[in-house]
Amino acid sequence: MSRPGTGGAGAPAVVFDGVRVVRERRTILDVPRLALPADAVTVLFGPNGGGKTTMLRLIAGLERPDAGVVRLAAGAGGRRDGVAYGFQEPVFLRGTVRMNLELGLTLRKVPPMERVARVRAAADECGIGHLLERDARTLSVGEAQRANLARALALGAPITLLDEPLAAFDRVGRVAFLDELAVLLRRRAGTVVLVTHDREEALRLGDHMVVLVAGRVRAAGPLRAVLERPPDPETAELLGYTVVVDGRGVTLGIPPGALRIPRGAVPLAPGARCFRFRVERVLEVGLETRVRGRILTPAGEVATEIALLAGDVPPVPGEVLEVSAAGCVAIGS
Amino acid sequence: MLATTTSTRDSGLLDTLVPLFRRQTGIDVKVIAVGTGAARAMAARGDADAVLVHAWESEKRYVASGDVRDGRLVMHNDFLLVGPPADPARVRGTRDVVAAMRAIARTGPFISRGDGSGTEQMERALWRLAGIDPTRVPGRDATGQGMGATLLVADQRRAYTLTDRATYLAFRERIRLVPVLEHDPHLLNVYHAYVVNPAKHRRAKATLARAWVSFLVAPATQDVIGAFGRARYGQALFVPDAGKTEAQLGLK
Amino acid sequence: MRDLLAAFARAFDLLASGDPALYTIMARTLVVSGAATLLALLAGVPIGYLLARRRFAGHTLLLGLVNTGMGLPPVVVGLFVWLVLARSGPLGDLDLIYTRRAMVLAQFIIALPLVVGFTVTSLRALPERLPDLLRTLGARRWRMLWLLAREARLGLLAAVMAGFGAVVSEVGASMTVGGNLERSTRVLTTAIVTETGRGDVPLALALGLILLVLAFAVNLVLTWAQTRGSR
Repeated sequence: MSRPGTGGAGAPAVVFDGVRVVRERRTILDVPRLALPADAVTVLFGPNGGGKTTMLRLIAGLERPDAGVVRLAAGAGGRRDGVAYGFQEPVFLRGTVRMNLELGLTLRKVPPMERVARVRAAADECGIGHLLERDARTLSVGEAQRANLARALALGAPITLLDEPLAAFDRVGRVAFLDELAVLLRRRAGTVVLVTHDREEALRLGDHMVVLVAGRVRAAGPLRAVLERPPDPETAELLGYTVVVDGRGVTLGIPPGALRIPRGAVPLAPGARCFRFRVERVLEVGLETRVRGRILTPAGEVATEIALLAGDVPPVPGEVLEVSAAGCVAIGS
Repeated sequence: MLATTTSTRDSGLLDTLVPLFRRQTGIDVKVIAVGTGAARAMAARGDADAVLVHAWESEKRYVASGDVRDGRLVMHNDFLLVGPPADPARVRGTRDVVAAMRAIARTGPFISRGDGSGTEQMERALWRLAGIDPTRVPGRDATGQGMGATLLVADQRRAYTLTDRATYLAFRERIRLVPVLEHDPHLLNVYHAYVVNPAKHRRAKATLARAWVSFLVAPATQDVIGAFGRARYGQALFVPDAGKTEAQLGLK
Repeated sequence: MRDLLAAFARAFDLLASGDPALYTIMARTLVVSGAATLLALLAGVPIGYLLARRRFAGHTLLLGLVNTGMGLPPVVVGLFVWLVLARSGPLGDLDLIYTRRAMVLAQFIIALPLVVGFTVTSLRALPERLPDLLRTLGARRWRMLWLLAREARLGLLAAVMAGFGAVVSEVGASMTVGGNLERSTRVLTTAIVTETGRGDVPLALALGLILLVLAFAVNLVLTWAQTRGSR
């Protein structure tokens, strides 16, 4: 899923340097140093209220930090022409979708012919080519979200900021558009900074990842590196790990979906770890069966869930099983 | 209801007479201060019960038409020409108002009431006597307002204007205009009181109106009129005339 | 009733006769009140923008002043302007008292709070994120103000109508600072006062009808623009 030139080895597109943002005497963002790579998709990931949108607003110049600076790479053309911003709530001016998509290009003095071509291309990419002459205020929620995205992409800015581009979709629309968006972002040149609180979106769309909790960066780097070495239990849980402390006092992260109930003679995968698991409930979720319970370690108990494979015999509540998981990572080492 | 003219209101005379009348008779008088023209018109429409006006020539027509009756000569005061201290028309010191109007017609500016009032009628009569078309006087303009407002405008625009003495004295402290010509016999301002004719206007309260007119010409009231303004301005504003004839004042 | 019918007939006759004095007064009324409204718009929309979008020291105080000013009695404005412009006043040397410029100034002061108030209301009704959006699309300062004004144009047209309606129909300030001079500062409302004072009620009523027609015509044009703009 990686695209060419995603190494980020060159000069970064955006650098946060000693940045602090204070609101009503509360520090809501504190980023001593952070570089976002050029020509890659960086996802800002974390729980809501963690400062993700504030970071986007700082990059766009909509807000100034109370301390420090946010620098854009030279050649980005400055904040006016260098940054495009797709806001979380789609807001449109009176007029057609076309007029809304063209406005930014007009303001950036793009010649009329090129304007038409770029609007057409962005609209087709986002699947709203047939809606260009519609009154922008009559679009459905999904259409509006796509038009909102198209408006940002049409600008073709060196840096494109997207704030929760899928938030307004329903579950079905989100799944469909997530695929389209993943393809679309990979095809484009330029730097993308995308904010999401959804783990699946983050993993599907990002080349790089910044985990932001309560205004502080917990982890930053290539997606894989962040996933393989979560720095602390909280970050690991955000990334989907089930965090346990084993008998030797080592904190382990069990990857999502990795827990299995071993079947008789089937040998354990190399490097797999075993845990004691007390069954509490057995849930029928459609065709799937899930077992909810607790992993028991000398340090305590941790709630988790195991999906049964087809053919497994459902356990009985109260039963204590031996379970295994492959790909566990050590946390904070 | 009594309709009267602005110059009596601006000078404050009615503020003295109305409460006096109420104390004597228990009758309340509502003063509608309008130009002589409107006072006449209100009388002609029967919207007023009595009128106190000073435009002798046109009054005679309204008596003839039967709108008002029982006219009584009440008092007179006089007009004067006032102008900026610089006196560009060099009128000050002269005594002939007709010659003065001709001089002002050459220099201007002149501010007219232009509200159909007795004062404006006096002004028009003076232009007529001088043989001048007032619309051609340079810088002549009309306020369409009362005497007080017209004095303020003339003062600010450094213009000549024709004013009754009562209003001028009341405004003297507030403006820089100075009298440039006075005491010409042409500049007399004679007030008559009338009762609106109940035979023609059925709503007119003739009894009350007669009481008011009788009050105005009663000796005690005439003394009050004769003394009015003396304390404040050092000279009386009106000359009481009850019992005199028009001819004695030079009116025809 | 007879007066009212006579007034209608007189108004029609006056308009039909093409009386130059009447048309001069009508044109003067339009020019003076139009200029005052235009100036109030030029000053009031940016002030309204600041009040709607920014918070600063004295914000609440200014907003309170604007709301109070929306009901300012014109005659009080007239007195204030008179005191400032009279020859004895601080700006007496400009020799503006009893001129059309003085009337424009007074009417401007009357219209300004209305324009500011309506601008604040209509800008606050816009989506909260709109200014941010326009900024990231590349709009700065005046361009941004222009685009927001275009978005809020229905409300701003209402501001124009309220401002123009207030000044074209007011008499106190025009009379006080204009002096109702027949050749230079008489407008429809002060002419009505004069004709009423003169006792020519039918003419006064006729002028009143003409004022109504004039105000109606202006509002008709603006309403037409408003319905066109809402599409």
